[in-house]
Amino acid sequence: MPGRPPIGKPDLNRLRVSFGKDGRLAYLGHIEIINTIMRSVRRAGLHFSVGNGFARRMRIQFSQALPVGAASTCECYDLYLTERVDADEALAALADSSPTALAPTRAAYVGSRLPALEAWLTRSLWQVRILGSGAGFDAASLDASLHELQEVGSIDFMRGDTPRTIGLADTLVGWQARDVDGGRPGAIDLTLMTRSSNLGALRPAVLLDAAFARPCMGGARPDSMRVLRAGQWHEDESGRLVEPFDQNLLQRA
Amino acid sequence: MRLAREDRFDELEPLLGKVTHPARYLDHEWGAMEDQPGPFHVCMIYADTYEVGQPNLGIAILYNELNRAEGISCERAYLPWVDMSALMRERGVPLLSLETSSPVASFDIVGFTLAHELVASNVIETLDLAGIAIRADERDEEDPLVIAGGPSAWNCEPLVPMFDAVLLGDGEQEIVDVARCVRDARAEGLPRAQILRRLSKVDGVYIPSLYDVVCDESSTRWGYAVPRPGTDVPEVVYKRCIPDLAATEPVAQRIIPYMGIVQDRFALEVLRGCARGCRFCQAGMTYRPVRERPAEQVIDAVGEGLSATGYDECSLSSLSTTDHSQCAEILTQLNERARQTGVRISIPSQRLDSFGVDMAAAVSGSRKGGLTFAPEAGTQRLRDVINKNVTDEDLERAARNAFEQGWRRMKLYYMMGLPTETDEDILAITAAARRVLEIGREVCGRPRKGKGGVSVSISVAVFVPKCYTPFQWAGQLQRDEVRRRQQLLLNSAQDRDIRISYHDSDVSVIEGALSKMGRAGFDVIYGAWRRGCRFDAWSDQFRYDLWLEAGRAAGYDLEEVAAEAFPLDARLPWDHTSPGVGKGFLQREWRRAMGGVTTPDCTMTSCTGCGVCPTLGVSNMIAGDRHAG
Repeated sequence: MPGRPPIGKPDLNRLRVSFGKDGRLAYLGHIEIINTIMRSVRRAGLHFSVGNGFARRMRIQFSQALPVGAASTCECYDLYLTERVDADEALAALADSSPTALAPTRAAYVGSRLPALEAWLTRSLWQVRILGSGAGFDAASLDASLHELQEVGSIDFMRGDTPRTIGLADTLVGWQARDVDGGRPGAIDLTLMTRSSNLGALRPAVLLDAAFARPCMGGARPDSMRVLRAGQWHEDESGRLVEPFDQNLLQRA
Repeated sequence: MRLAREDRFDELEPLLGKVTHPARYLDHEWGAMEDQPGPFHVCMIYADTYEVGQPNLGIAILYNELNRAEGISCERAYLPWVDMSALMRERGVPLLSLETSSPVASFDIVGFTLAHELVASNVIETLDLAGIAIRADERDEEDPLVIAGGPSAWNCEPLVPMFDAVLLGDGEQEIVDVARCVRDARAEGLPRAQILRRLSKVDGVYIPSLYDVVCDESSTRWGYAVPRPGTDVPEVVYKRCIPDLAATEPVAQRIIPYMGIVQDRFALEVLRGCARGCRFCQAGMTYRPVRERPAEQVIDAVGEGLSATGYDECSLSSLSTTDHSQCAEILTQLNERARQTGVRISIPSQRLDSFGVDMAAAVSGSRKGGLTFAPEAGTQRLRDVINKNVTDEDLERAARNAFEQGWRRMKLYYMMGLPTETDEDILAITAAARRVLEIGREVCGRPRKGKGGVSVSISVAVFVPKCYTPFQWAGQLQRDEVRRRQQLLLNSAQDRDIRISYHDSDVSVIEGALSKMGRAGFDVIYGAWRRGCRFDAWSDQFRYDLWLEAGRAAGYDLEEVAAEAFPLDARLPWDHTSPGVGKGFLQREWRRAMGGVTTPDCTMTSCTGCGVCPTLGVSNMIAGDRHAG
């Protein structure tokens, strides 16, 4: 995914902050999240850097957009500060100025020349709770449908009015489905690992819509799905997963 | 029926994934008062979508005042968009408040702000979705009291069958008095009718059910309202007026939305009222006198507001910000502070003179998008009729100054259909635009290829005669004639760097009719809503055909209603309410308009006798010295 280049100014302090997206705020879109966080930063009174462009925006970069309706425990942004304050103090100030459901959970300084988060965090772990009212599907049938999809190799779907196609060979890394709620039909926990690239990112809802549309599901549809992004990593050349706050990335005071 | 007060978000949540912009329905914004202990509960409603209603400064002020009052809590509600309201009806979910997701029908008071005429059908839609009886006389004893106020409450007669009370004028103290009065009366166990009688004693409160409409030879066909026999209510209800704006809390906007809203910035009301005396302008008559906040208060409040909200833009809001006597000082100081943090200061309206341009330059820095002026009419003759005290030379000087300071795009606001307007006035609009363009090209040069050149946009609204203005007796220009003049305007602009846009004449007819009608007009509004009209201010939702059909069903031709002129001595449907401006003053202004005689601004010269100050016991409060530009 060709994200923005890092801002990379060595005189700026790059504060990496992780935060959650919880409860009803799961229904916020990416732009709404960005605007809300930027206002939280201003309220926190941190000395952030401002770009020199026409709009003079705050220098801040976010990890990949989370779909509307999806919650998360692991979103990140990099905030560029002109004045270095203790990371824990910054975290406390941000926590005081943020809506509870978007509260920051960790902050640390990272190297200013690291790649931009959006392009760098390429792997996501998703947890999906699927609920259907006794409606003719279970973990095994969903698993079979996902295998069929994988063999097909791609999904055609609509985003708004625009037709899109996403390949699964690169983007769908793996999954595990299991029945929950005492084996109640239609109650499934799906754990999903995805990879984003220049060709796109696979959204759980797109994958599951396609899976439930397969003939093997017999027209069954879930009543609801709760989607949570539970982890984000960078996948390096050797396939190793690197945490956003990996010790090798952190800058000591 | 009064519903139980309980959190029903769990009924709304399953719908969020199925609608556009679910952020409209989430609440939990930064600054929202989630703790709502009551025990007396008020819900303030802007009957449009969240993104349109949330920026409303009036509701923000009332929300804060009510929540500050002991024992009173206030929440907000907006009208869900059509996709959500359809789902809510399908699932039996009533309209809920934002803060606690309680049914709106569970509140003690439900208050509407009437921001413009076209909100009428949305008020009905809101009540219906809430499950509150639409007509006040059909409500039960325990039902919420439905009240209204705001800029469009001045001719509220077509809407009053829905309202138990209408609040006139400045609401910040009035709303608390009303809430306390209802709370105490309810605690005493008074029946609804007696609560309303008691409310009629609160200054600025009009109780429609205590007035009868009489139609006779002294009135228009809409009649006039008189106190119902034995009710002991005033013949004329005067507006409530805050004498000193500086004594009120300046930072009103405390709730920070998640989604983008129409004015997504921190707004601070720097002054209230305008005495320029434009004869078409309802706000200019109804918000008098002029009350400024002193520079020091404005500067401190901007700092506090920006810190509290996290916004990166502040709008210094008012009817005419550059008229503030300390405008230059305020902008200089604010710019000094804002420069380091990427904060932008904006002023919503520019005075048409060099001072206005200088002030616009002071806030724009190196970012110069477009600059907007409002000459309103094309010829000096017509500008004298409407009392827009600017000249062609003012416009040319301001334009030259603006181009010299780096602007490339100019926007000019005009109106069409003003009293006495002729084709010559229409053609003068494009002539003025051409002159401005020539000045721009003279100053900036003419680039070889399109980009970087100067351009002028003209936006032409259709004049709608409004009550409590000197033009309240005028009829609106007929729709076909509006269209002819719009075409004339289009044909007269032959330079591609002059862009013309104009308002939909169909919408203007409905605005005009709603502005003229009396209480009987409610049948038209109700009929339109029954036929499917709602969100009439949204061009993709507006249905002119349904409005006309509703008018015909109620016995009215709405185009004829809008175009009807009233005799100068007729008793008008709104004569029983008053913003303090005397009818005699308005009649005099009408005559002066017809004679092309202008009237000066009383904040810059001497009293012009509008009557507001002696009637309401207030006066202009100017922080420094005002002078014409």
